[in-house]
Amino acid sequence: MKKSIKAGTFLVASLAAPLLLTSLAIDFRSFDHEGYTRVVFQSERNFTYKVQDRPGRLELHIPGRADLPARSVAIANSPLLERVTCDYRDSESVLTIHFKGEAAVKKTFVLEDPFRVVFDLVRSERSERPAAPPRTDVPGSQDREAAPPRNNEAAAVAAEKKPDPPRENPSAVPPRTDGAAAPRPRAIETICIDPGHGGEDFGAIGRSKLKEKDITLAIALKLKKQIESKTGLRVIMTRDKDSEVSLNTRASIANNQLAQMFISIHANSSFRKSAYGSETFFVSLQATDPEALELAQKENQNQEDPGESIQNDELKMILWNMAQTEHIRESSKLAEFIQNELNELLGTRNRGVKQAPFRVLMRTAMPAVLIETVFISNAAEEKKLQSDEFLNKIAAAIYNGISKFIYYYGSLVK
Amino acid sequence: MTKRTRTVLWLSGIALLVALAVLLLWPRRKPAPFEPERLSRAGAQGSSITEFIKVKVFYLTETSLAMRPVYREIQVPEMREELYRTFVSLLLSGDSGHTAPVPAGTQLRSLHYLAAREMLVLDFNELLAAAFPGGTTAELEFIYFMVDNICYNFREIKKVKFLVGGNESKTLAGHVDLEKPFFPNFDWLKDE
Repeated sequence: MKKSIKAGTFLVASLAAPLLLTSLAIDFRSFDHEGYTRVVFQSERNFTYKVQDRPGRLELHIPGRADLPARSVAIANSPLLERVTCDYRDSESVLTIHFKGEAAVKKTFVLEDPFRVVFDLVRSERSERPAAPPRTDVPGSQDREAAPPRNNEAAAVAAEKKPDPPRENPSAVPPRTDGAAAPRPRAIETICIDPGHGGEDFGAIGRSKLKEKDITLAIALKLKKQIESKTGLRVIMTRDKDSEVSLNTRASIANNQLAQMFISIHANSSFRKSAYGSETFFVSLQATDPEALELAQKENQNQEDPGESIQNDELKMILWNMAQTEHIRESSKLAEFIQNELNELLGTRNRGVKQAPFRVLMRTAMPAVLIETVFISNAAEEKKLQSDEFLNKIAAAIYNGISKFIYYYGSLVK
Repeated sequence: MTKRTRTVLWLSGIALLVALAVLLLWPRRKPAPFEPERLSRAGAQGSSITEFIKVKVFYLTETSLAMRPVYREIQVPEMREELYRTFVSLLLSGDSGHTAPVPAGTQLRSLHYLAAREMLVLDFNELLAAAFPGGTTAELEFIYFMVDNICYNFREIKKVKFLVGGNESKTLAGHVDLEKPFFPNFDWLKDE
């Protein structure tokens, strides 16, 4: 009998071996700083994750099996954190940070070598949600080349008082990193549509000489019409004719007009002529350079006088480039909604939701995505792009994705 | 040993074999770590010995989203930077039957290895941007073709920075931020 039990154990171990071997080991640590608490999840290999903000806790959903050193880790002496737990359900692992009271994510970013997901958390009271500010239309926004993203009211007021900076000058006020909690999102009122390329910048060109800049503008105008007629929301365009607009200006237009969603429309091209399908990107904000990261961290630590702490252009540029940081979760969701609709309506290859360090997205201070509709470099897809009906389908798919996001976003605001 | 015990042991053995097979045959996204093999060859008259390394170069294929490897030999020069230059030239020159995502006419102007930052700086001629076909995917293909191949074959290089015409360039064709150095993303590579 004993032998049978041993053999049975061996059998179970044999079957479990592959699962154990493929489990993702994740270490957890936290540090309490003045004004915020930093939480770090570290692993030897990269992993994808989704974040869900729940009352009293923050959840990291990781596909497959992931393990912390223990299923429940109590955190002693932290003013903000109670414990971290790890559960496995429905083919995904859920790492949960349990708070003492309520907390909000001030900032999140990913580091490499080794792979780390970092959250900076601050105490928040959900009842203290700020009221939605009145809409402020800022005329002449296209002249404000490097106007700052309005991450909060204080930054917006500070920016108002500053003279317009010169073109491509990084000295505009960057997003605040002074420990204040990010403001709660307010209901969506303004959407910025960005038709890629324009003017002398043709974008990609198809074999039959179809230009990306014309396609993106045509889709953008159709989308604008749909949003305005069906929702009554305000739509602004980074360009509404064949004109060249720099990437910084595109972001600035959206920031200055207080847009709450940024939709950049493109047609794709590849060195592989057979490449086809649609994909939707949101930005990847990996701190790719340790020196840049160190500078940003120094800025975080200096909280006595945030105004004085911003001393050099390089630092401001780093912070500027992190404007998208606090919206990345919503951007991911927006990308997911739009990509799902593209798959459904276009019936082309689903290349999925992806991340990349796109310059136009980095400096937008709102949920922002870049849509690669189909491949203009693929002869068959280029032919489709010449059909007005197909462009209508693309616009309809993007509109449906936006609608679903507005509904989702509304649930966050309530 | 009873018949039942033997049966259980047999089943255990089979389960173990199945588990191992699944592990070995499971499609691997990322290639295994690689160290270029060093080779020495005598000259034509056997007088001098020439050193080579066998590098593994990943190219685009029309049938796969990932890049696939081929092995090539390159001569080892005295200076380390010359070796990098030879390797980058190999990437730029392409390979028959494989797609190198590089615009025609692209040339390397200069190359610098910053050991303290473990960073290779590549300065290309202006044709790289001028002849670039456009498209997000094309930009990512070029960037990770260069970065992944370099960092995969030379482990001392952790990141790659691109210059165009001796200057920093904001993007290649209006999408990916080129001002920051790039770490490799081996998700683009797939082993045999």
